[in-house]
Amino acid sequence: MSGSVIELGMVATALSLVLAIVCIAASIYGASTQQPVFNQVARQALLANFVLVTLGCFTVVWSFVQNDFSVAYVAQNSNTHLPLIYRLTALWGAHEGSLLLWLWFLTLYSALVVLFHWKTHPRSMPYVMATLAAVQVGFQVLILFLSSPFTELIPAPAEGRELNPLLQDPGLIIHPPMLYLGYVGFVVPFAFAVAALIRGNAGAEWVVATRRWTLFAWLALTSGIMLGGYWAYYELGWGGYWAWDPVENASLMPWLTGTALLHSIMAQENRNLFRSWNAFLAITTFALSLLGTFLVRSGVLTSVHAFAVDPTRGTYLLAFLGIVTLGGFGLLIFRADTLRSNARLDGSLSRESTLLFNNLFLVVATATVFLGTLYPLAVEVMADERITVAAPYFNKTVLPIMVAIVWLMAIGPVVPWRKSNLTRLRKLMAGPICAALVCLLTGWFFGVRALLPLLALAGIGCVLASIALDTWRSTKARIDISGKSWFAGLIATALWNRRRYGGFIVHLGVTIVVFGILASGLFQETKTVAVAPGEQFKIGAYTLTFDGLEQVQGPNWAALQANVQVFSGPDDAGLMQPQRRTYPRGGMTTTESAIRSTFSGDLYLVVGEELGGGRASLRAYFIPLVGWIWVGWLVMIVGSLFALSQARTYAAPARTAPDVAEAANP
Amino acid sequence: MNRKAKRGLLIFFAAVVLAASVLLMLSAFRENIVFFHTPSDVRSGAVAAGTQTRLGGLVEKDSVKRQADGMDVAFRITDGANAIDVRYRGILPDLFREEQGVVAEGVIVDGALEASTILAKHDENYMPREVADALKAYETPEAVK
Repeated sequence: MSGSVIELGMVATALSLVLAIVCIAASIYGASTQQPVFNQVARQALLANFVLVTLGCFTVVWSFVQNDFSVAYVAQNSNTHLPLIYRLTALWGAHEGSLLLWLWFLTLYSALVVLFHWKTHPRSMPYVMATLAAVQVGFQVLILFLSSPFTELIPAPAEGRELNPLLQDPGLIIHPPMLYLGYVGFVVPFAFAVAALIRGNAGAEWVVATRRWTLFAWLALTSGIMLGGYWAYYELGWGGYWAWDPVENASLMPWLTGTALLHSIMAQENRNLFRSWNAFLAITTFALSLLGTFLVRSGVLTSVHAFAVDPTRGTYLLAFLGIVTLGGFGLLIFRADTLRSNARLDGSLSRESTLLFNNLFLVVATATVFLGTLYPLAVEVMADERITVAAPYFNKTVLPIMVAIVWLMAIGPVVPWRKSNLTRLRKLMAGPICAALVCLLTGWFFGVRALLPLLALAGIGCVLASIALDTWRSTKARIDISGKSWFAGLIATALWNRRRYGGFIVHLGVTIVVFGILASGLFQETKTVAVAPGEQFKIGAYTLTFDGLEQVQGPNWAALQANVQVFSGPDDAGLMQPQRRTYPRGGMTTTESAIRSTFSGDLYLVVGEELGGGRASLRAYFIPLVGWIWVGWLVMIVGSLFALSQARTYAAPARTAPDVAEAANP
Repeated sequence: MNRKAKRGLLIFFAAVVLAASVLLMLSAFRENIVFFHTPSDVRSGAVAAGTQTRLGGLVEKDSVKRQADGMDVAFRITDGANAIDVRYRGILPDLFREEQGVVAEGVIVDGALEASTILAKHDENYMPREVADALKAYETPEAVK
């Protein structure tokens, strides 16, 4: 009976492929013959595709809920013992379903772009629609012919296998969709950039149109990465949140170029600079998003030879990526002559030049991550030698760049456009530099001796003081004119230019994240012990007493659990119960760490193994201020939403903001 | 300074930053490439003592020995033809078992591996690709059972 439901999903998805092809043909024909009716056809096709792919996703979810093991994808990733919530979200538990979710987001973005920009960008719209539909075709072909979640399994098994236990976790319910929301979101600036290049009109129009889309995609990607880090932190049991794993690097690369894009479009908007560069970044960011999806979802990281096992899929993914990348860059080179602008970079010290360095740093960071992530694959293919690029490589290269970027955050936003000079800069930066020195000395006092962390701490102080001073100057100018109270003046200033102050709040969030990373990395304590029941050990300010081991039974797992009494000084801080779970169906084991979070840091406990005689090995971490990373992330969300709340601006506010600061500080 | 000179200065700074990053990148890259080897490679002397190495294979049957304090572990990694002693201090990963795939990273000392990290097979479907390759020769009928 429900076999027909999944067939319905497949038919709907197949129909969406047909409509996407219709959309490409209609929009291109409509644009070249100037017949708007064909644009209408393309528009309806994109809107219909959202409905069709939604139906496709729904049939897969329905099959999971119904435990319909005649669907191969369901049989491989679910069973009757799996809790309902994980059956609902198992859609993105493996390769095929994730791609379908990707396609769903793509059709959602496509439909929204058509609805929002139909009236405002009629000339670009045919090319935007054609580009979006072309990307849709790429995924529809992949899903229908090479990795289909709709495949039926006959005869149907009585019971399914197991969803990867690592994924049976609340964090994993939202992490992949959030990440994809970010990845796919970068298709909007990509499509608009391609349209602008085709039309030979690469002015500020496409940049203004896509600014908020880019910011939204960036926010979603940031959140996806943060959620992934948080999940890794509490689920993988090694006391860290980032391991420079290829899977993580894959999501970091589009984030880095996306961040660069978010900044450099301001130069095009305000000064008509960096035109080809922005198109380059938009294309690169989307290409890296695709690369990220494929790296994680093609099995190439497990083994290059997974490509050889399924050569059609591997070849297809490479060809798809190649068409997007070469097509985009080819168009860029082909159209380079239309991109020249009369605008010049006037001074070596200006907002433009700080944006240039921001982009330089971010792109170099992307290149280093790219090299470290893909070089081992290249070596394996070409030389048949297997290597790993160890984490210290990334730490040594990316972290110094990140520290430099922190310092740029202190200077960039307050330097005026066009031209400045050292005297002005000295005046602007005197306060922040003092704050930087105070932070540096404080760090020294707490025993930090390494150069890079000290520079990072000083940079944080500099950024905070710089933001505070700039805000104060603008607020004071407003109070002087309007006579409002200090608080009302501050609120009015921030509301008046939400993009600028949203940006400041995001920068504030970034410094909090950086501070959390620094403190947790510098002052982390680790202890591995073998204890008998009743034995005590100490870590940080805590005294831990091992009460013994216990067997615990869950819905689809059994666990070895350690009971540990925790005392913080003389105070009873309760019982901590780290577990090691075994999932009998898949034969897998996972670590469930016990975490006690406080403002000053996390106590993190992992149970190792039973050593006989009731003894057990335990590993304990004290990780100071690690929670600040997630707090900083929340601040970044608030800032981004604040900046998003300002409608598109074609004129004044963003440009006059520094002028107010000037007025206050003649 | 005129405009051209200022532009020149800016380009100069950018070039310096770029060159410094590339140098940093390449030197860090050279230092941190870790090669993967099989026990047979180590036995044949292809791995210099003291270099960081990843060793992959199966945990040899009945080779896991624990010290009295429970923290020091010794075992052997085999690729079917040769086996290498591995010493490790700490908690072994969830899926560490005898006759299962494993990758140990560390330094070769006197023909044995002083491991700093042990990576065990991730799940039933996923195996570190190094292990899968190292075991190709080992997949004889009796090993598969």
